[in-house]
Amino acid sequence: MSKTAAPSTLHPALRRGAESFVEGWNRIGAQAQFYGATVGLSGTAIARYRGEVVRLIAQMGLGTGALAVIGGTVGIVGFLTLSAGAVVAVQGYNSLAGIGVEALAGFVSAYVNVRLLAPLIAGIGLAATIGAGATAQLGAMRINEEIDALEVMGIRSVPYLASTRVIAGIVVVIPLYCVAVLMSFFATRFGTTAVYGQSVGVYDHYFYTFLNPTDLIWSFVQAVVMAVIVMLVHTYYGYTARGGPAGVGEAVGRAVRTSLISAVLVTLFVSLAIYGQSGNLNFSG
Amino acid sequence: MLQTWFVARVSILPTIMLSIPFTVLTVFTLNILLVEFGAGDFSGTGAALGAVTQIGPVVTVLVVSGAGATAMCADLGARTIREELDALRVMGINPTQALVVPRVLAATVVALALSSSVTVVGLTGSFFFAVFIQHITPGAFAASLTLLVGLPEVLVALIKAALFGLAASLIACYKGTSVGGGPAGVGIAVNETVVYSFMALFLINVVATAVGVKATT
Repeated sequence: MSKTAAPSTLHPALRRGAESFVEGWNRIGAQAQFYGATVGLSGTAIARYRGEVVRLIAQMGLGTGALAVIGGTVGIVGFLTLSAGAVVAVQGYNSLAGIGVEALAGFVSAYVNVRLLAPLIAGIGLAATIGAGATAQLGAMRINEEIDALEVMGIRSVPYLASTRVIAGIVVVIPLYCVAVLMSFFATRFGTTAVYGQSVGVYDHYFYTFLNPTDLIWSFVQAVVMAVIVMLVHTYYGYTARGGPAGVGEAVGRAVRTSLISAVLVTLFVSLAIYGQSGNLNFSG
Repeated sequence: MLQTWFVARVSILPTIMLSIPFTVLTVFTLNILLVEFGAGDFSGTGAALGAVTQIGPVVTVLVVSGAGATAMCADLGARTIREELDALRVMGINPTQALVVPRVLAATVVALALSSSVTVVGLTGSFFFAVFIQHITPGAFAASLTLLVGLPEVLVALIKAALFGLAASLIACYKGTSVGGGPAGVGIAVNETVVYSFMALFLINVVATAVGVKATT
């Protein structure tokens, strides 16, 4: 709306509704355009800005500032999956004991951790640490007009800033996910055997019987897909931040919200696509 | 009151958007298993167990720390950067009393409300998914809901949610009021809020689950 005084329009409520709808529609379009550009230019990013990619990988893996003190991203994701695995142990063991089949706790670990917990928690950890960090960095650059400065210097900011971060995210997520899966297995095993006193042999027997290597590989695919989505969302929100210091904080908050939702939705659809209705369980027992 | 509305407004949509896929995913995974065992009629038990004891609190964690705490921290951080807190002190108003306490109370109340709505939304979502997609008898689903989950479990879940709201908002307020260093500082503070509150809340979740399980059995 223009700032000067104007006569009121016909059907103001209808008009406002239509305008906000069009605005939302345009925002979706702008996001899609940005994602397309980021993915399309990732080849350029690898070819031209290899040093930047390596620097970002190092930064993401080990964290910066205060986050580095507690072990960086690896430490945080490891910790999150460790506690989530412990919850599986506590809840799974007790629920199973309620119907008298607590021996199957190992099976729950091999099943729930691989298919459900580890990808979700890793995605959430990724969004919270690397993703939010990227939004904060890019947002601060946008506010300080550093991105405009890059453009003036003839550096294409989308491949240099966004594509490099997406690539670095994919590279970082692979070792990160290994840590996450191992931690969740370890926590459930420790909780069940050491805290609740189940014998290690029983646990291991059921665990290895039902652990399906193909599932593990698919859950890696899930994690990588999630990393791409999370990084795209976070770079978009950082890249388009505006409105001073408060705007950066707001952009981080919005980006975290959006990427959490999309990470969970991606897990849902990918696992529906992979496992389907049947579930191809490994009942060789 | 205004704060309650603010926190509720930023968190309600993510809550619903998160809780539906989350429970559907869990129910889907569990149902495959149960159908394979030949116990598809018990899927209601699995859904109730998942939604009330785990998904409810976990989604509340994610939303409270991911949406509520970040918004709070961004707001407070911006005020700190603009030296509004110093202005309050000069005017003789204690910023902790004026800014932090209402937010902490609001987050606790909203976390309670959220965890209830997550549970209800989650159960509804899993009901539709189980009945219309995985072809489980609606009656059996509803009848088996209360097999493993009763009032004590629901109470434990609510207590957990209140604890989450308290912890997350305390972290957010601390990080928000101790911001320094311009726009980048606010961004980093929000980032740290998310990370720290996730870690704290997951830890609380483990402890509270263990205590709750002991208390209810």
